[in-house]
Amino acid sequence: MSLTVARPPGGSRVLLGSVAVAVAAVVVWEVASHLSFVIPRPLATAGALVRDLGDPRFLAGLRETLLAALAAFALATLVGGLIGLGLGLSRWARVVFAPIITVLNGVPKIVLYPVLLPVFHLGYGSKIVMGLLFGLFPVLINVATGVREIPDVYWRLARSVRANRWQTLTHILLPAIRGPLLTGVRLAVSLSLVGVVLSEFFATKQGLGRVVLQSYSGGDYADMMSTILLLIAISFVLSLLLWRLERRVR
Amino acid sequence: MSVRAPEAVAGTARRPAVRRRRRRPGSGLVSALATVVLVVLAGAVAEVGARAGWWTPDVLPAPSDILPATAQIVAAPEFWPDALRTGTELLLSCVFGVLAGLLLGVAFWKAPGVGRVFEPYLVSFYAVPLVLFYPIAIVLIGINQWSVIVLASIMTAIPMTLNTWTGLRAIPPVYLKLAASIRCSRSQTLFRVALPAAAPYVFAGLRLGVVYALIGTVAMEFTTAQAGLGYQIRYLYESFDAVGMYAYILVIVAVSVLLTAVLEIAERLLLRRRDA
Repeated sequence: MSLTVARPPGGSRVLLGSVAVAVAAVVVWEVASHLSFVIPRPLATAGALVRDLGDPRFLAGLRETLLAALAAFALATLVGGLIGLGLGLSRWARVVFAPIITVLNGVPKIVLYPVLLPVFHLGYGSKIVMGLLFGLFPVLINVATGVREIPDVYWRLARSVRANRWQTLTHILLPAIRGPLLTGVRLAVSLSLVGVVLSEFFATKQGLGRVVLQSYSGGDYADMMSTILLLIAISFVLSLLLWRLERRVR
Repeated sequence: MSVRAPEAVAGTARRPAVRRRRRRPGSGLVSALATVVLVVLAGAVAEVGARAGWWTPDVLPAPSDILPATAQIVAAPEFWPDALRTGTELLLSCVFGVLAGLLLGVAFWKAPGVGRVFEPYLVSFYAVPLVLFYPIAIVLIGINQWSVIVLASIMTAIPMTLNTWTGLRAIPPVYLKLAASIRCSRSQTLFRVALPAAAPYVFAGLRLGVVYALIGTVAMEFTTAQAGLGYQIRYLYESFDAVGMYAYILVIVAVSVLLTAVLEIAERLLLRRRDA
């Protein structure tokens, strides 16, 4: 199966192709920026990014957004992993909670932000909880599915070597679900970041979401573009690294 | 089955045809009953808490206030322009996204080299992060429904593409050999053999795509728009109308339940016909 091959033949050609796609996108962007005055030039955008990265207020916003996203991601992985474990291990829990979880997964979580604001306050609290809600479900669902599909023989092996619960968890269960777990973690990384930034679009004192919105309403599109692309690039690189890791362990 | 799509978010939707038949009879009924009990329980806690003043009414009003307000809002004529706007955006992005996803999935299957070149982007932009492009889209397209539709279509297209492609790659080669040996034309091979064989994956992609279309549409309306259900929630929040806001949140939850149910039923019907 091609998915199990760590490095498909012609891997470097594929990499070259992927880079060429990115280059082509920048060329299209350059051309488009000459056709429409609202589109900032790629060079102007890069300039704005360099200027921003030298600005201590921007860096404070970047720090706040990334810290909130990190906290949200860690909580999403922990909470989602534990609930997923419970759901995967217990048929009873699956029967009772599966429909509710399917529905909650489909609900656009952002509409709950006004609800979170008075409870968790305007600072870090409410955005971390929003990021947690965004990142929770992929971890939960993937872990639950992974645990449920562990072959019976693994459990029999655990019993036959008299592994205790902790040993079963670390030596049998976690290695067995590493694929789906990584898939969930990869999705949770970018979703937590998106949850935090969307919360900042809505209401916050600090953070990159606010920077984006301010430069949007100020008509400073180069600044807006560079901040969005910075966020996208962070999420892109992290996802890509996790995806490569995921393919290697499979 | 050792193949796991890299995009297995809704794991429950992954191997529907195999899983569901193994379910013991009656578990569906227990599930439904348990869900009703849980919802009623949550409603009761909210009611008692709001009445007893455990929290202020602007945090969470009593359900006995929200439910009549919801009925009133849905019955009022002002509700429908927003519902129609969101509905149109949702429908168009699902149609565009699903068609584009199917097309790209088949194209990547035919030309795996091209697919692998684009794969890292599809996987890393996996749907929801695209919401971050919304401010750019409203600068380019304007604050109107098209900026929402364009991004929501792409969000739908990504899981559709990846799942269709994975499903087609997972077809046992013997199916295609059989099709060749009985001299199926190319379109017959695709529509009669390949796509039906990949159907469980395609459906998993469809479910994900529709969920993302809803999430994306509402999130973008919520961020900035002039109309739509997501916009109304923000508007009511900013005018301190907690009951009205929760009523609209309930409407959106109802829409997502409805979509999930419709997709589930459609999937069962279509896959049953395929398996029969």
